[in-house]
Amino acid sequence: MESLFDLSLINSTLRMMAPLLLAGLGGAICSRVGVFNVGLDGLMLMGAFLGIAANAYTNNVWLAILIAIIGTTIFSALYGYMMIDLQANMIVTGIAMNFLSIGMTTFALRTIFDVQGAYYNNEMQGLPVWEIPVIDSIPLVGNLLSGQSPIVYLGIVCTILMYIFFKKSVAGSHFDAVGINPTAAKSQGIKVRRIQYLAVLISGILCALAGAQLSLGQVTMFSENMTAGRGFIALVATMLGQSNPIGVFLSSGLFGFTEAISIRLQGLNVPTNFTLMLPYVITILAMFIFKDKNQLSALKNSAGSSR
Amino acid sequence: MNKLKTNATLFIQPILAVIVGLLVGTIAIMLSGESVAVTYQEMWKGAFGNLYFLTNTLERAIPIILAGLGVAFAFRAGFFNLGAEGQLVMGAVTTAIITVSLPFQGLLNMIISIVAGMLIAGLYSFFAGWMEQRFQINLLISTLLLNYIAVLFAGYLVSEPFRDTSSAGGVPQTVMVDQASRLPKLITGMNLHYGFVIAIILAIVIAFIMKRTTFGYEVKMLGQNVFFAQYGGINRKKTMFISLLISGMLAGLAGSVEVLGMHYRFIEGALSNPQFAWTGLMAALLANSNPVGTTIVAIFLAALDTGSLGVERNTDVPNSISGIIQAVLILFISAKFSFEFLKQRKKEGK
Repeated sequence: MESLFDLSLINSTLRMMAPLLLAGLGGAICSRVGVFNVGLDGLMLMGAFLGIAANAYTNNVWLAILIAIIGTTIFSALYGYMMIDLQANMIVTGIAMNFLSIGMTTFALRTIFDVQGAYYNNEMQGLPVWEIPVIDSIPLVGNLLSGQSPIVYLGIVCTILMYIFFKKSVAGSHFDAVGINPTAAKSQGIKVRRIQYLAVLISGILCALAGAQLSLGQVTMFSENMTAGRGFIALVATMLGQSNPIGVFLSSGLFGFTEAISIRLQGLNVPTNFTLMLPYVITILAMFIFKDKNQLSALKNSAGSSR
Repeated sequence: MNKLKTNATLFIQPILAVIVGLLVGTIAIMLSGESVAVTYQEMWKGAFGNLYFLTNTLERAIPIILAGLGVAFAFRAGFFNLGAEGQLVMGAVTTAIITVSLPFQGLLNMIISIVAGMLIAGLYSFFAGWMEQRFQINLLISTLLLNYIAVLFAGYLVSEPFRDTSSAGGVPQTVMVDQASRLPKLITGMNLHYGFVIAIILAIVIAFIMKRTTFGYEVKMLGQNVFFAQYGGINRKKTMFISLLISGMLAGLAGSVEVLGMHYRFIEGALSNPQFAWTGLMAALLANSNPVGTTIVAIFLAALDTGSLGVERNTDVPNSISGIIQAVLILFISAKFSFEFLKQRKKEGK
């Protein structure tokens, strides 16, 4: 059992949770404005693919991430247009966007790179590992926190920024107002449509980063449907975290931890299926206890346009 | 006359969606540098080209039809059952385990194992309904989460206690179903089995229930207007539970017949990876939850799948073309509310 829990487990938890955290924050900002974002998985996949594709052409990992962000944001704009302007059912649209993303990335993978299954190139540079100067020199903590890809740190920064945004800023309370009651918000002169678009676009950016962490941070390759449902786990993290940035951080941390530990448990005699099941079971149990008002109203919106 | 008109508008949208979907497909084909005519020709051949491909398409449609009917039934009552995948897998794995555990083979074995699969799947769906009713746990979220739990749990069952250990390594799977307990093929040498007959009969039965029975009327009322339905004395709780139970049982049946008619065992991932349940959900949505319509659309979507496999065999266009076309179709269809919305706004403007 000694090998199961050691300090490097925290390190790998941080690495595993980063994509969940970023996409989960994207889900949270949507849910705060009354949009139930089922398309996180598709957005992430798009980000992961564009990151690798752009990297293959430009040979510059930073430019690749920028292109991934731009491309995924355009993709999320289509998603937003369907939901906000065309009033299409949010869940159906989200599922369709996921299908579209799988279809487009797989299609592009085969037509552009002419490979089936996975694309990688040994000469391709992934994201660098950052050693944080001050923290690195602190004995124990340095080992725990330092040596991650920049996107991991960015995830933590985004959590704090979003927390401040919703807690302190006027714009943040406008976002909340739209989520709680769009009609009332509109009567107060808040531009509901613009704010909902903004939230969907921001979630596009965050999901692009989450996808880039998968394809450029953890490994340097793209494989068909490589998110493998992580977008849905991120959605679950949003729900469990009650659309609160700190809550999303904690719940994605929990899921990152279960993912990290399930890799280790493979060496022992515990069926991995059960450890993989944990996030979903925990979320169902948590829903008995917590009732997320934002999520409920977002869901109400989605159900309202369902028929 | 008026009825004819509403029927016409009902059909225009899906047909337009199909055209747009194929247009986007055309663009994708052009991007990949193949001839559009040749590709669509190959797609047609792969789906309906000869008896073998035609029966293959119909076979693929079986689980999609059944899962779609299940989803459509719940939709009609106003409940979004996103859990068809989990229910399908639960039904399949139960059937696969029961059929090889029973001491006798033949028709009775078949019936018992299918009914058991349907029951487990129905209860799985019922459970989500119960959580919504009792604890206000949103059905959308719970059914979605239960999918993962079902797929992982079934994966555990076939990789540990019920694994076929005779073949070492490879994908986890259960022991082969006995020859006598398999669903017979409709035509010898072809993949199509009696599950197709079951699916078609059920589609007609459900259409009948919806149209002609009191229960069907209650379900429809509940789906259209909860308050009116309750005012009219319809028991929301009871109708919800029954419709979710039926919905889950149909999805479970989809898995059961696929096991007994096609794979002859439960293979991990063989039912969740082709996304039968999600395709069924699309079929139900495209057909506006009409049972007969769902069946037709399911066959169409299955044809896109099998057709694109033909495309991949004979051209350089990858089979993910069907995924793109399907997604565009569903996006276009789901935007339908907006057209009515726009029309209304125009009227108000005048």
